[in-house]
Amino acid sequence: MTRFSRIVNGPFFARCCVAGLAFFAWSALGISSAVAGDKVEQPIEFPHDIHAGKMGINCMYCHTYARRSMVSGIPPLQKCIGCHQNIPSVRDHPRIQKLFEYWEKKEPIPFKKVHDLPEFVRFNHERHIQRFYFWQKRPVQEVCGFCHGDVKTFTVAEKVKPLTMGWCISCHQKDHLINATGSETGHGPHDCWDCHK
Amino acid sequence: MGWSGASLTVAGCGFTSIESGVETVESYVQPQDFVVPGIGIYYATTCTQCGGGCGMHGRVREGRVLKMEGNPETPNRGRLCGLGQALVQHHYNPDRLKEPLLRQGGTLQPTTWNNAMALLAEKTKNAGDKFALLTGPLSGHLKVLAQNYVESLGSRNHFIYDPLATKVNRSVSERMYGVAMPCYHIDQAQLVVSFGADFLDTWVSPVHFSSQYADFRKANDSKARGVLVQIEPKMTVTGANADRWIPVRPGTEGALALGLANALLQDPAYAKNVPASVAASVRGYDKTHVGQITGINSEVFDRLLALLRERTPSLVLSGPSAEGHVHGAQNAAAIMLLNFVLGNVGKTITAPARVPFPQMAPADGDTVALNAFNDGLMHGRFETVFMHDVNPVYTAPAFLQLKDNLKKAGFKVLFTHYRDETAEESDLVLPLDSALEDWGTHIAAYQPEGVTITLQQPLMERLYPDGTRSFGGLLLELLKQHRPEEYKQWPDYYSYLQSALTKNKSAFKDPAADDGLFWYQTLSHGVLNVAAPQEQHLSATPGIVNVNLPAASAVDQEFPFQLVPSVRSGFRDGRHANLPWMQETADTMTTIVWDSWVEIHPKTAERLGIREGDILEIASKTGSVKTQAYLFPGLDPDTVAVPLGQGHEAMGRYAKGVGVNPFKLLAPSFENATGELAYYATRVKISKTGDRVTVVKDEGWRPGVLSTQQGRKIVATMAADKVKLFREE
Amino acid sequence: MSITYMLRDWTHYRSTHPSADINKDHPEGYKWAMAIDLDACTGCNACVVACYAENNLPVVGKEKFAHGFAMHWMRIERYWNDEDIETPQHGAQFMPMLCQQCEAAPCETVCPVGATNHTPDGLNSQVYNRCIGSRYCSVNCPYKVRYFNFYNYPEQEHAWPDPLPMQLNPDLTVRTKGVMEKCTFCVQRLYEAKSKARTDGRLVKDGEVTTACAQSCPTGAITFGNLLDPYSKVAKMWRQQRMDLYKDVQDKDRDGNPENIRGYRVLEELRAYPSIIYLERVRDAQA
Repeated sequence: MTRFSRIVNGPFFARCCVAGLAFFAWSALGISSAVAGDKVEQPIEFPHDIHAGKMGINCMYCHTYARRSMVSGIPPLQKCIGCHQNIPSVRDHPRIQKLFEYWEKKEPIPFKKVHDLPEFVRFNHERHIQRFYFWQKRPVQEVCGFCHGDVKTFTVAEKVKPLTMGWCISCHQKDHLINATGSETGHGPHDCWDCHK
Repeated sequence: MGWSGASLTVAGCGFTSIESGVETVESYVQPQDFVVPGIGIYYATTCTQCGGGCGMHGRVREGRVLKMEGNPETPNRGRLCGLGQALVQHHYNPDRLKEPLLRQGGTLQPTTWNNAMALLAEKTKNAGDKFALLTGPLSGHLKVLAQNYVESLGSRNHFIYDPLATKVNRSVSERMYGVAMPCYHIDQAQLVVSFGADFLDTWVSPVHFSSQYADFRKANDSKARGVLVQIEPKMTVTGANADRWIPVRPGTEGALALGLANALLQDPAYAKNVPASVAASVRGYDKTHVGQITGINSEVFDRLLALLRERTPSLVLSGPSAEGHVHGAQNAAAIMLLNFVLGNVGKTITAPARVPFPQMAPADGDTVALNAFNDGLMHGRFETVFMHDVNPVYTAPAFLQLKDNLKKAGFKVLFTHYRDETAEESDLVLPLDSALEDWGTHIAAYQPEGVTITLQQPLMERLYPDGTRSFGGLLLELLKQHRPEEYKQWPDYYSYLQSALTKNKSAFKDPAADDGLFWYQTLSHGVLNVAAPQEQHLSATPGIVNVNLPAASAVDQEFPFQLVPSVRSGFRDGRHANLPWMQETADTMTTIVWDSWVEIHPKTAERLGIREGDILEIASKTGSVKTQAYLFPGLDPDTVAVPLGQGHEAMGRYAKGVGVNPFKLLAPSFENATGELAYYATRVKISKTGDRVTVVKDEGWRPGVLSTQQGRKIVATMAADKVKLFREE
Repeated sequence: MSITYMLRDWTHYRSTHPSADINKDHPEGYKWAMAIDLDACTGCNACVVACYAENNLPVVGKEKFAHGFAMHWMRIERYWNDEDIETPQHGAQFMPMLCQQCEAAPCETVCPVGATNHTPDGLNSQVYNRCIGSRYCSVNCPYKVRYFNFYNYPEQEHAWPDPLPMQLNPDLTVRTKGVMEKCTFCVQRLYEAKSKARTDGRLVKDGEVTTACAQSCPTGAITFGNLLDPYSKVAKMWRQQRMDLYKDVQDKDRDGNPENIRGYRVLEELRAYPSIIYLERVRDAQA
């Protein structure tokens, strides 16, 4: 055997190939680009802990589109001002000052997207909120928290769940109640086209 | 809302992993309560792509208009043709003008709007008849402002030009029926005989007529399926859908019509429908004589006659191929006469309601206007010329020498969206808002149901807010330059329209008591229906009883073919050649894309040794074009057809250098009664250049082989008398 | 995990198809189907342009069109009649051809990576991010309605120079090089309608959703809807035309179609069980 063929047929080479392929597969999964727990720098460090935690405001008060659209949406600036124009006690706090600066200029705050799925994935908030919050009547923070983490302990949002397809499917393959009142169970949709149109 | 989201949708290789903190989320500041990201909002507006004036709904997502649909509340009944949908490509066209251009030192240079408006004021001071305005067809408030402006300058020179005008038809209709554009009830006819009126694709109001055609074709217990006969020298889309397509020698349509009238009038049941003089005047047109003139054989004639006798009520239409001759009006009169003979008048042809606002009523345009404009230019009568919604340097036949004559005008201003051929000859080129960025009111020339005014409203913020302006807005500004007291109350075109309509809201059906609510509802529905419009009636007897058709003249052997400059629905007069969807969509009849062609009958091609793809020179006495040959059986054998709309020398990347422009070839022939350019009267000769190309088309697999189904059941056909009827539910 | 479920559902579907019960095959209550009346179709191409507008179809330009790379998911084929080819006295014949969403699609069985499957609501799906570009599916398609992205059209000069990308439909992927695409029955519209209806606790009503082609057609030649809804226009048309989705030879055709009912499916004998019926064009014999 030539030296070359000994290497190619040897166990070390095989292990390298496997490792190489595994690395390729792992990086292709895309998890590597977003390490869980990294806090994203936002123009205003919005304190979810005060709003969702201390105040106990329902997530959907601000993220109002979640129950009726595919996207949950960053609330329009008007939503923040709606309350804060009537809260003199914090009016001159630095973050609130910044908020009103944007309002004066009628400019949206350029928040960075934290849970940014690839272009070819279309996640539908409405269906999940409708099922888990409205039909199954689970508490809102549990429903939103399943994917977004325990937001009432964060200031700005943090990506703490993998959000990979495998992770989504792991829930979709579990048996759930398929209607609010009965006991019939089934699993979530496996139609590729639901998310990948 | 600007550019939100658009960049996120085009996936490159970078967006294939889950990311965090990379993209920015565009959020709203103060949205209206019906705005939900991820859900489209629909706004109503009016299509401006042709004279049909269909109402549209535009789907808007995150502040961008994406797709146009039909408005269910307008006569197009929620449907929209391909050209209408391609309006978004005019709006987002990469070659749209974004700033005013002024000719300095021979070339067009960017300038400011302030400078432009100052120039406009200066050049129109004390203008009088030295000022001329050339526009396309106008209606609604834009027409009011345009006419008022011309008047304010003391000028009488407003030329309304439509290269594809139906002037001959309207003029003859007015004389025959008493109204210029009657209502045609195709859905109520059992037989439609169309002499070249391509009502399914390019004639008058194609989407509305198509919708009627669907009902026309349905058979049920109470009515039979309608039969369509099309008589023309070149098969149009409507012709392709006919039960019987009859090729006719160009120009002889009138003789055929009189021949049919003659045969029908032998029967007293028909003779009583018209004055006795009619029967006398058509006596010379017996079947043999008609056959000699038209080339239509006895059997075809008899079958058509039988249909006319049996399928009632019927409807006979006159189209451009019959009207585009020196004796076009006579042809049209002969054809329209048949409707009187058959008793169709008042049944399948009725009068439209009268448009109550004469200032806003549609001014349709003609080619006489171009002639008059050209004449004025030639004699150096115009110092300052404004042009809008026209491209005369492209559409004028070469014999008019319009491009040279235009040079004689002192200062030429073009209000346009693109740097087209006319822009290249202008001194000041002013960029306009697209139709999807502008306000307006429209009264379509064809009013099938009462009288409707359709609204045009912006579907998004201007793409180039510092660059483009509304033409209505500009007219208002120009009017303020000369009549400040009268117009200063309206800061912009929007406020002018709103106040004009709201003040007159009692003219419309069920206006809301509250003005604000009235305006909101008007914009929401996109259409206003005139309340109790005045009925009109068609004349009971034909206005013309003596049709004078010329004797057949000797065929010029040097120019042995008749040229049909055909209209394609996606191109019209060439203004839509820069729409990629229109270039890429296969032509219905030939499936050719991205080019021009000359249609030749296969027998003629065989005789001349022409194969598909040969580059031929098509030459008339006044011009020539070179284009690829295409074998097309839907032709009178001595006719060739070249489509209009291509052959641009400017107007952007999708139009420039594509195909050839047969407008240039047209002969200096004018219709006798109206003075209109006779489009179908050009004789040409064909010569081979020796070059050959592969025709780029969607059909077939071998060039020159006519696509048939090869015995397979792909498009199956069934005879009408065998079809099982179903009652429509 | 997901491929296991997908293949399990799909192979079960194919091996039991055609079953005796259309409802069992489509447990969600939807089976999308279409009926196209060839006597109403004028060949105007409004549907073709509507599809370009709705589905982010690229304009490929003359050269690529010449090479057969046109991306029109819906096309109008124009035929002449063999018998009167010299003077086509009965006009031309137009066939709007689009993906037939076959129940037993020949394309589904040959994809090496399972990028094309059958959805629970009766559509033939094409998953772009799974597709590796083998193009076997388009080889197998008898209707030749699958179109491959041989070029990266978002970067080609013709397709979307600025600001044309603003026209793109955000509900739908813009495809890049190497993936197969085809008509989806405007699945993005169906999905939105189904979601809205589900929130209201009901199924989609007839007329609530339609495809871009059906919506634009000036003559209303295209009818689209849920075949499982007995009151939908499309179900009525299939019933009137005595068309059974699961038969490769219809009962009426076994008897030679004595009642002259117009409904038929193209290339039905290939047993792909298409979800689109066509109504025969009619020509008056006396004309």
